[in-house]
Amino acid sequence: MVVTAKTKDGKEVGSIEKNYHPQGSSCRDEKMAYGAQNKSSYIRDTSLQPLQTKAESIEFDLPVDDKGAPTIRTVDVTVELIYEIQNPDNKFTITRVTREVTLDR
Amino acid sequence: MRPMRFMLTVAIVASASLAAAADAPKKASSIDELAKMFDSTGCRECHQEIYTQWEKSHHARPFMGVAGGMMLTPVVTASAFKVEKPEQATLKTFPCFKCHLPQALRWAEDSVAQELAAALMANPQDKAKVAKLQITCLVCHSETAIAHRLKDGNPEPGVIYGSKEGAHDSKTHPKMKKSVTLGQSIFCGQCHGTGPNFEFDYPVQCATLYGSYQHNYLPAGGQKSCQECHMAKTKDGFADHLIAPNFDDKEATAALLAKSVHLTVDTLGYQWLRKANTYTPKIVVNTRITHDAGHRIPDG
Repeated sequence: MVVTAKTKDGKEVGSIEKNYHPQGSSCRDEKMAYGAQNKSSYIRDTSLQPLQTKAESIEFDLPVDDKGAPTIRTVDVTVELIYEIQNPDNKFTITRVTREVTLDR
Repeated sequence: MRPMRFMLTVAIVASASLAAAADAPKKASSIDELAKMFDSTGCRECHQEIYTQWEKSHHARPFMGVAGGMMLTPVVTASAFKVEKPEQATLKTFPCFKCHLPQALRWAEDSVAQELAAALMANPQDKAKVAKLQITCLVCHSETAIAHRLKDGNPEPGVIYGSKEGAHDSKTHPKMKKSVTLGQSIFCGQCHGTGPNFEFDYPVQCATLYGSYQHNYLPAGGQKSCQECHMAKTKDGFADHLIAPNFDDKEATAALLAKSVHLTVDTLGYQWLRKANTYTPKIVVNTRITHDAGHRIPDG
């Protein structure tokens, strides 16, 4: 999942990536491994579990001027859920949600 | 007379044993022989739609990975199971056979592993030969159709296991028998595993879907079977043998995931106050992801 906040003119304010997948190793060193022939066990599992909610709360601080006042008051936030197959270059988007978020009331 | 009688007895027993050995099905010594033993092209004649679905499935290309990738190459060239020469390969140096080619466990000689290793190590690789090794109709509807072999015995020759009993319009498999497990999740669990495979001299961990199903989905109250979602009945009333997803079809896979994975996004813009007169303008993005699958995503 990639969460990105951008100004209206496309300038990135922040971006955060969360990776959801089981992670295995040979258990012979500290390195994660790909390929069943190299993995002997999972050592961590951040995947999306059945009948459970994966919740995140992500924060981006907006820039301020020398008096501490925000210089950007409104951004477009895009949350993109991406599925990667075998490697990060082979991927496709499952869903994408965009929201305008503002400090203004 | 007594020694003569003993010799005669020995001779009769020996000849009976030889006859039994001659009747026992012979193991395949080549990829072509193994492919022929489990050749299911004859099924297409009556089960055209199912066969077409299967042809597009990963079961039809269990060693070709995604996008034609040769997933076994690193096994023979850069893993604990690597061999210097194809002649060194055995069934044991291919732990992947347990699920990617389960028929090899009972019906292949080590020479099949050697031929496969040669195809993988050739330059260029012999993809056509590797592609002959498939999880065909006969693998699921015969070879792996009986999970409780201690009680029910091995699959019988000439029998197709499925949901019905009776005659089957086939010269090679003229009988149908009901498989107790074929329609249940345990059938898929034979390969879509539970965790590390400790029976190998170097434990390997591949698919763990069934472990996830057992230890996370069922305890959370889920009750659907693998087949209900992945082999739902198509318009002709038969189970879909594409057994989606087909990761080579990104569009269909994306649609499947979009249907079953749900993303909720809530946002807030405000100024956080940690100490008097010191505000931090913030954007908060709260995301919640749920899904309808009976297993972790991703898994296999």
